Amino acid sequence: MRDKNVWRRLAHALSSLELTLACLALLMVLVTACTLLQVPLGTHRAVQSTVRSPLGGLVGGVLLANLLFAQFRRLEFSRRKLGLWLAHLGLALLFVGEFGTALFQVESQMPLEIGQTKDYSEDDRRTELTATDASDPRFDVVTAIPDSRLKRGGEIDAPALPFTLSARRYHENAELGMRRPSDPPSEATAGIGPNLLVRPAPPSTSDDARDSAAILVEAKSRGGRGLGTFWLSSALGAPQGFSLDGRTWRLALRPRRYRLPFSLTLEEFRHDVYPGTDIPKNFSSRVRLRDPGRGEDRAALISMNNPLRYGGKAFYQASFGQNDRLSVLQVVRNPGWLLPYAACALIAAGILLHFGLKLRASLGARP
Amino acid sequence: MTPAWALGLLAVLAACRQDEIATHREPKEVPPASAEAATRPAGPRWRVPRGWKELPGTGMRAATLLPPPAAGKAEVSVIALPGDVGGELANVNRWRGQLGLPPLAEPELAGARSRAGAARVYDFTGPGAAPQRLIAGVVEERGTIWFFKLAGEAGAAAAARPAFREMLRGLRLDAR
Repeated sequence: MRDKNVWRRLAHALSSLELTLACLALLMVLVTACTLLQVPLGTHRAVQSTVRSPLGGLVGGVLLANLLFAQFRRLEFSRRKLGLWLAHLGLALLFVGEFGTALFQVESQMPLEIGQTKDYSEDDRRTELTATDASDPRFDVVTAIPDSRLKRGGEIDAPALPFTLSARRYHENAELGMRRPSDPPSEATAGIGPNLLVRPAPPSTSDDARDSAAILVEAKSRGGRGLGTFWLSSALGAPQGFSLDGRTWRLALRPRRYRLPFSLTLEEFRHDVYPGTDIPKNFSSRVRLRDPGRGEDRAALISMNNPLRYGGKAFYQASFGQNDRLSVLQVVRNPGWLLPYAACALIAAGILLHFGLKLRASLGARP
Repeated sequence: MTPAWALGLLAVLAACRQDEIATHREPKEVPPASAEAATRPAGPRWRVPRGWKELPGTGMRAATLLPPPAAGKAEVSVIALPGDVGGELANVNRWRGQLGLPPLAEPELAGARSRAGAARVYDFTGPGAAPQRLIAGVVEERGTIWFFKLAGEAGAAAAARPAFREMLRGLRLDAR
């Protein structure tokens, strides 16, 4: 009996209007904090530490539960209230869509110079350590270890490699300088590392700046022979490496790559201005899309607000550079990108239906 | 299933996304049709002086440029490093130390500096019968400092200097 009372009180609390108002107030605080924190933290970190933080998720989850409880406990299920049911369902779908975006959306970039072809995009907020067997003159065999594994540290045993790697230290951001005689001895024993001074640095706060991650990694053969300890960094140009059993191995830290089953080639980039001025009118990239698996080989035009949607990804015109010879595409994978549209359609349909029914009832009631 | 369970499951699925160690073939990097050096990291673009040769990057170097053979040996190294790399004075004094010159004090730094386009240029010649010379152009772009260093025997460095300064003047900074 007591249990039943507890559940009843909990259900009552979860469906209360006070909870709705409290959640909405908290969301307003989070949004305000997010806006203010963009100056010291930059947009991405401000969003991640406020509205997309565990607290933001909790408030959103409670608000969603509140909406559903209120709907099922308070709203009568009848044809008369069908519009309200639809509108509330749309609102719930909007919440689910935002959770889907926060959890599953992956953003990356694809910088392409004119004539260049790529079948991958790069996430410059993440890194991967690559061990590349460069012995074959026709292609490289690359084993990529994501940063989530590198940050855990310890021995990394990739079955495809004839050696093991130990991640000894990982810096999200680091300043690299040339080592001076007065500096303490380097922990690196091979590659360029012994000449480098690597200092951890706080994360970048500017939206334009990118962190330069660095990792101290030790390579050992399967027999336990040391192959060297390397400082790798996304800020270092050429990779470092060693020879093992007649094969050439290169180690590097680079932006995380997401491979695509198709490729894009930048054929043309246009940066139109209004006649007689330098004011930009339009940016557009004409790309060739090749997907042997689906038999696709066609041109596509990507311009501002007119992305190419293909293979579950959207390619937006994001930036450009190098005297208009480089186009940067923003690549967004969001499995739930249609949910906000469906939610808005449901809300609109629900409101129209509800007021339509009210209007009809009102007109029918007139003498 | 309650919403909390569903959200927990979604979070676990999201955490597992594309985060496994993977091995695959990659084509050797093919230079794009337009770019003279796709292997360089993003940053300033330069025009290789007529008669000079550019070698691909190795180790920390983004590129090495070789002037035409002259009396003695000299070469240009291009290195990009993030952050302030210890400050300009520390770098200048490290170069001077390599040449056997005494360090400069902070107020003397501006007097040792000239400009070539966007680059701040330092030009030092070491002592002795066979002096070494180092001409360094420093360019900062989006938090990364690029060092263009012409170093070698004084005679060879002097012969390469005009073309080197012209190259620094023509550096194209990324418009992004």
